[in-house]
Amino acid sequence: MKKGILFLIGIVYSFHCFSQTKLDSLQHLDEVVLKSDRHLKTFSNTQKVATLKDTLLNRSAPSLTQLLNNNSAIYFKENGLGMVSSPSFRGTTAQQTAVVWNGVNINSQFNGQTDFNTINIRNFDAVSIRSGGGSVLYGSGAIGGSIHLNNNIAFNEGFNNFVYTNYGSFNTLDFGVKSAFSSKKFSVDVALSRSSSDNDYDYVDSDKTNLNGAFYNQSISANFGYKINAKNILKLYTYLYDGEREFSFIFASETPTKYQDLNSRNMLEWNGIYGKFISTLKLVYLSEKYKYFANSNFETFSFGEAKTLIGKYDLSYRVFKDAMLQGVVDITNTLGKGSDIGENERTISSFSLLYKQQIKSFFYEATLRKEVTSNYDSPLLYSLGLQYKFGKYYTVNVNGSKNFRIPTYNDLYWEGSGNTNLKPETSKQIEIGNQLDFKHVSFSATGFYNDIKDMIRWLPSGSNWQPINTDHVETYGLESTLDLKYHLKEHQFTLGGTYAYTVSKNKETDLQLIYVPKHKATATFNYQRNRASFYYQTLYVGDVLTLQDDDPKYILDAYFVSNIGLSYAFGKEKQFTLGAQIKNLYNINYQSVASRYMPGINYNFYFNYNF
Amino acid sequence: MKKQFKFLAFTLLLSVLITSCSNDDNDDSGSSSLGAYDNGYFVLNEGNGNPATASVTFVGDDGIVVEDVFRLVNPTADEIGSYLQDIFFDDTRAFIISGSANQVTVVDRYTFEYIATINSNFSAPRFGTVENGKAYVTNSAEWNTGADDFLTVIDLNDYSTTTIIVGDYSEKITSDDDYVYISNGYYGSGNAVTILNTNTQVLTSIDLGVGNSPNSIIEEDDDLFLLSYDYGSNGKIFKINTATNAIESTIDLPASLVAAKNLVIEDDTFYFTVDASVYSASMSSTTISDIALLTYNSTSTYGVMYGFNVEDNKIYISDGGDFNSNSNVYEYSLSGSLLNTITVGVGPNSFHFN
Repeated sequence: MKKGILFLIGIVYSFHCFSQTKLDSLQHLDEVVLKSDRHLKTFSNTQKVATLKDTLLNRSAPSLTQLLNNNSAIYFKENGLGMVSSPSFRGTTAQQTAVVWNGVNINSQFNGQTDFNTINIRNFDAVSIRSGGGSVLYGSGAIGGSIHLNNNIAFNEGFNNFVYTNYGSFNTLDFGVKSAFSSKKFSVDVALSRSSSDNDYDYVDSDKTNLNGAFYNQSISANFGYKINAKNILKLYTYLYDGEREFSFIFASETPTKYQDLNSRNMLEWNGIYGKFISTLKLVYLSEKYKYFANSNFETFSFGEAKTLIGKYDLSYRVFKDAMLQGVVDITNTLGKGSDIGENERTISSFSLLYKQQIKSFFYEATLRKEVTSNYDSPLLYSLGLQYKFGKYYTVNVNGSKNFRIPTYNDLYWEGSGNTNLKPETSKQIEIGNQLDFKHVSFSATGFYNDIKDMIRWLPSGSNWQPINTDHVETYGLESTLDLKYHLKEHQFTLGGTYAYTVSKNKETDLQLIYVPKHKATATFNYQRNRASFYYQTLYVGDVLTLQDDDPKYILDAYFVSNIGLSYAFGKEKQFTLGAQIKNLYNINYQSVASRYMPGINYNFYFNYNF
Repeated sequence: MKKQFKFLAFTLLLSVLITSCSNDDNDDSGSSSLGAYDNGYFVLNEGNGNPATASVTFVGDDGIVVEDVFRLVNPTADEIGSYLQDIFFDDTRAFIISGSANQVTVVDRYTFEYIATINSNFSAPRFGTVENGKAYVTNSAEWNTGADDFLTVIDLNDYSTTTIIVGDYSEKITSDDDYVYISNGYYGSGNAVTILNTNTQVLTSIDLGVGNSPNSIIEEDDDLFLLSYDYGSNGKIFKINTATNAIESTIDLPASLVAAKNLVIEDDTFYFTVDASVYSASMSSTTISDIALLTYNSTSTYGVMYGFNVEDNKIYISDGGDFNSNSNVYEYSLSGSLLNTITVGVGPNSFHFN
């Protein structure tokens, strides 16, 4: 792999040598074409898409869990700091949230979800949160919503370098360096990151310590863009992640276990702009590999390894000035093997048709997708979104869609248990979003209803556990966001908040699903004056059931956790930033998962250098 | 008149005292209760991994149910762990095994007051017994092999521990007269019984033959009884003479009774279970009828007959339920009529009588 990367860098630099000639005609390429995840712009107009800003990313701890937990309505169930972390988006399960890397769904082939503590945010230029169904665009798992990790390939921006270092309590080190160069025709950026921690924090109000919780991970990403001519662009995205985590103890004498991940994501993309047509061809290669050591003292482990090859072609056609039609064909081939699943290959093809049109203040977008595979019966997926702008300030969106989550490798092929007769989980949903935008204030409120059928659950069957399509879950609620911006001379104030009310009911038991809080809220207040900035951040998570039993002793209490931070930019061009943060300021004793205590008050310091 | 009244009052009081005393006294020891949890039984709720779901329920002879006895009595003590496997006793103490925490928690068996936590030399501990001032606990270590299975020996004076390698699947354990008996069967793997002479530390293995994987072991009047089954073959009850270590007799269970488990001996009668049914046979009989004594209703597929015992004219059944909510214990008469249904904790797996 290392050799491969060196080779790629070599190729790119040789490209670079003969790409110096100026070609002004390239300037009028649609900015949107440069995005790897174009659907986030082109076909997500009637749903809420929130993109987290650089300042939030720089301030956050490197794990995707911490970034989103503090800045979105998504709830996280984290098995202790840095340990296995799964989201619940709009009251759905972890497998019903898609994680999308530069437009490609990267949820695990084995368990159908992404562990949000195995994503280091330092390798991405933007992290976006798309609420609600998106299976037509993003495939399996885009039911509650999707998280988008994107790299922007920029042109004509010269040399840019960024160094990030952070050191804090529990010997936690977070380091990142990013180097980018672009000319008019050529672009390259390479980012390296590493995060590690002893993670041996003391529990609040206890003489106990978090044992066997250490982790490290390191990632490298490299992205290249080359404008062949006025009509054609080539892009290459690569990402490699390597991490190891011990799984922390509840009891001091437990058997130590650990987990290793090695994931790579690679995509070659060719864009062509020919009059009213835009053509995009993508070739994607994903690999994921895990090793689980049931006893870290021994060399024995169980493993899973999957290699996925995707070919995708889409062609969009500007029918009228304000209308676009797009057709997408893709084929995905996955070869997976593991200690418990044998070796299995599956191929899925799909066809999609998308259309959108603006008619004065009215806008609509409609999409259809049908998969063809021999592995399961795939339903027709669709969405219809309507938008109406009432004047300058108020927009109403209505969106309805059918989405799915396909059975995973574990569901289908687990030795002795896998069930090859599984159907995908399906969800029909509708939402109504209200958006108000004023000069200093923007506010959104979205009511949603989601009916999820055939949820796959592993149930005992004789002496075995087998996955079957059983649960019928209904989720509904309200998501809201508020953003205030105000400045008075050199004083700048911003306030950002989210609040979600979520009901997620199993239709059979009429109980709220476990680990889905009815209430979650976040708020960040920021004050900046010249070179100094201060922020205060708070997170509220309501109580959750930990069992399908509302006996109060199995209910995990609600918590309020707050952080503060200070930073100062110095240097002629404010190129250096020094910052300090205090997390869990009030030393609250809280658990995200029962008996998994989170750290009390802790500190970290960071230094950024832009040049 | 006054004197007569006094006498009457005195006799009345005396009679009340005597009756209340005899009411309490089910042990015919004549003494008063040794603690709040003297007269009744404990149900061990193994839980589902979340320690809050691991608990001990006490059911008194008077029918009063006390939930989560350990935390009630010891709110600040170290936790008992999760995946609770077994409780075993000596005269004054109860020992609670947690499989995931690799520990044994020692409490007073009558008051349930915390005494100590022992957490050295365990690796996936399973079941325990006490013999001659020492406790013996089986350990599964790596699940997929019996070669590393061992005993943890606990000195009950200072709770120090040592280990003895058994080298064969080590599960249920019992003891008597200086000998410890280990059934070497683990979900169809292992076909032997290992006997430990606690004075010499010598281990002896008795082969039960291929297909006979023991799941229950009982020592009764110097004989050892084992119930075995293997997937696909019918079960057997083995009787081993502990003086000679010879298999004295085997009784074949009817072919229709597949996967029998939970052998209990009470009043010269064998009791065992198949799925949701309880069967019984006189110990003197050579054949076993396949007509069930009782069948209870269960919606649980994995937790059917998760715990079973027979004691003093009652049959006790616990249902594992969905391992995700509180579950039930059922008390039946020996003739199979339901006497009581009691709500206990998550995954109740065994009954322990005080």
